[in-house]
Amino acid sequence: MKGDVIKSLVFLLLVAGSLSANGKDRSIPPDDLVYCTVCHGVNLMGNSLLKAPRLSGMASWHVKQQLQSFRHGWRGVHEKDLAGLEMRPMARELTDKQIEQAAKFVASTWSDLPRKTIKGDVGHGKMLYQSCLACHGREGEGNETLRGSPLAGLNDWYVKAQLENYQNERRGHNTEDVYGTQMKAASMVLNSEVDVLDIVSYIATLQPKLRQE
Amino acid sequence: MMKINDLSRRNFLNLVGVAGGSTAIYQTSLAMGVMSETGKPAKLDLKQVKGEKKSVLVLGAGISGLSVAYELERVGYQVTVLEASKRIGGRNLTLRHGDEIDELGQKQICEFDDDPKMYFNAGPARIPGHHRRVLQYCKMLKVPLQIKTNFSRPAYTHEADHFGGEPIRVSRYIADARGFLSELLHKAVDKNIFDESLSPEEIEKLRDFVKNYGDLKADGTYQGTIRGGIKSGGMVIPSASHEPIELRALLDSNFWRSGLVSSENPDWGDPLMEISGGMDGIVKAFVEAIRSEIVTNAQVQSIRNTTEGVAVEYHHGGKRKQLKADWCFNSIPSHFMPSIPNNFADDYIAGLSAMSRGNFFKLGFQMKSRFWEDEGIYGGITRTSQRINQIWYPSADIHSEKGVVLGAYAFHGQSGFFEKMTPAERLNFAADCGEVVHPGYRDQIEAGVSVPWGRMNHMMGCGVIWSDEVRAKYWDRLRLPEGRHYMMGDQISYHSSWQEGALASAEFAMQDMDQRVRAADAATTEAK
Ligand SMILES: Cc1cc2nc3c(=O)[nH]c(=O)nc-3n(C[C@H](O)[C@H](O)[C@H](O)COP(=O)(O)OP(=O)(O)OC[C@H]3O[C@@H](n4cnc5c(N)ncnc54)[C@H](O)[C@@H]3O)c2cc1C
Repeated sequence: MKGDVIKSLVFLLLVAGSLSANGKDRSIPPDDLVYCTVCHGVNLMGNSLLKAPRLSGMASWHVKQQLQSFRHGWRGVHEKDLAGLEMRPMARELTDKQIEQAAKFVASTWSDLPRKTIKGDVGHGKMLYQSCLACHGREGEGNETLRGSPLAGLNDWYVKAQLENYQNERRGHNTEDVYGTQMKAASMVLNSEVDVLDIVSYIATLQPKLRQE
Repeated sequence: MMKINDLSRRNFLNLVGVAGGSTAIYQTSLAMGVMSETGKPAKLDLKQVKGEKKSVLVLGAGISGLSVAYELERVGYQVTVLEASKRIGGRNLTLRHGDEIDELGQKQICEFDDDPKMYFNAGPARIPGHHRRVLQYCKMLKVPLQIKTNFSRPAYTHEADHFGGEPIRVSRYIADARGFLSELLHKAVDKNIFDESLSPEEIEKLRDFVKNYGDLKADGTYQGTIRGGIKSGGMVIPSASHEPIELRALLDSNFWRSGLVSSENPDWGDPLMEISGGMDGIVKAFVEAIRSEIVTNAQVQSIRNTTEGVAVEYHHGGKRKQLKADWCFNSIPSHFMPSIPNNFADDYIAGLSAMSRGNFFKLGFQMKSRFWEDEGIYGGITRTSQRINQIWYPSADIHSEKGVVLGAYAFHGQSGFFEKMTPAERLNFAADCGEVVHPGYRDQIEAGVSVPWGRMNHMMGCGVIWSDEVRAKYWDRLRLPEGRHYMMGDQISYHSSWQEGALASAEFAMQDMDQRVRAADAATTEAK
């Protein structure tokens, strides 16, 4: 490779301006965070083949909290939580500063909303969702004070997998994980697999707001 | 059940052939879909396009991407290669002193001695003689090859629950397995079972065949053979052979299920080859020969077919950039494609999403001394029922001071066990398993590396698994281009996880493009 630079410059053009939501192109990850995009995809749009959910535009307080949960071993330790196990080593060695940076990057990304893959009774799902409102918000926007995760914009298959994780001792099992244990208890409101499908398909209709951080 | 009497002669002889191996070879290869187009590779006859400013973007600098850059620049295309990793070579990875192992969240540095002999092929390690494309490139680019022992009779087979948990020499297992099969067949001959299907002369030949095949005594019984290895003596005192393993114990064991016949598959059939000094010799030779720019740290962000060609966005040096070209050859692992924005047809993306992601895991140890050579083992593979599956001994640098041993090799479903561990836990686990086969193994270890391909940066898997269903539904869709975009690499072949598959796929794509270029040029000329 004798860098034939001029030749390739002929048809290289820099794209000016931005593709990110807020007018500033902040979605180019710093080198250390390119890792996130390997599984979670370009602009963290999510990749169902790798069971890596869409994270685009996720509130940074929530990203921080989840990375910390992984670091503490509250998430991603159960042998059946394969995707969690894959994720955990990424978070295990992160410093607080790196977590801070990752959260900032995640919040700065944007991508189209994910495709719906689960069919359930949206009306019934909406009814079931009433007991989630207090923590997760009417629009699924989340609640920082109560540490209720934002749900709007997540992949439906991911929400389903997490509900099942909570119901099956794979998440929210550690007593130090206060919010996780709360959610584990709350997940028991759903009595059947059908309930899970219904509520998941309702949550998939909630529209996230673009974040301007 | 089919009675032997009912068999036609031909079928019957085929059956015998199974024991002899030839049919087994054929069947295994057919079943595995690995019958390759052998013989000389077709010379790539690509049209020169110099002066016409035709441009090509290659995505991924693995072996397929490098071959495309090499071939197309020679016939005048302007080629740019975009590679997400900071390293060129993709899955072709040889680890040496100081190299980084870029696993997600668990980087390691290879702490082997700073010595060119101390290397570990963490990806490809073997080249069979029928992989004509790989071998042709090695020849053309003057990449030195050497013989690599794959199947070794003095190596061990170890099964925790069999033969008292003791490792036994492969030679002994083979000799006894053949001996007992031959004895059974000889008994069947004596019971006149073949009298209807074979002539008296043929029956006599069959008797001789099985006697010879199993080293039976004159009376047709098997009582052990020197083929199973010399137990004692043999030079100045008479040799003694091992007592045969009991037939029941052999049947109970599992080595015959795969290890025993592994070398019957053409891809693993001795003699194999390896590149002297490490498999990445071919990557280095390509990089040396290629004049086009290979941009590393350039992760592709979007791919779009346009009316005139293909537009690709990528990140490089903290900037988002775009390149446009007439054609695009894409070797990015298919499981990443749904998360790279594109304007491809839904069924094309559905096809790319339908293949499943395979996982390989390899682990290597630098050993203080070549203790296996003291046990009469020179290269080859020991197999064990433990999770490490295999131990590979180096074929090169016999009797030098140290050596690098493969200490674990796990495939697909089995890799997860190691992926969950930290690198230190993996080494520790593999050391314990090695100790069972070679007492003192742990003390010989000086350094170790582990490479879980399912967790490697920009890879997250190897190699793609095509179910028959997915193959039937999507093979043509993916093999053929989407607009001016070609998907390629070993993932788009019947030889997934082989460099030959990667090269064959690249070759197919280049030839297809060439046909289109010729057709378009002919149309233009006619119009004039
Ligand atoms: C453990 C193991 C053992 C093997 N053993 C053998 C063997 O003995 N013999 C043999 O012949 N073969 C073997 N193989 C298979 C061989 O390594 C592969 O078939 C071959 O290297 C694949 O080449 P490729 O060009 O198709 O793909 P790859 O080498 O996978 O190249 C794909 C490239 O795309 C890059 N990329 C990913 N994402 C992006 C992006 N967004 N933008 C730009 N680039 C991107 C990757 O970094 C990579 O460099 C083995 C493989 C493994 C893992």
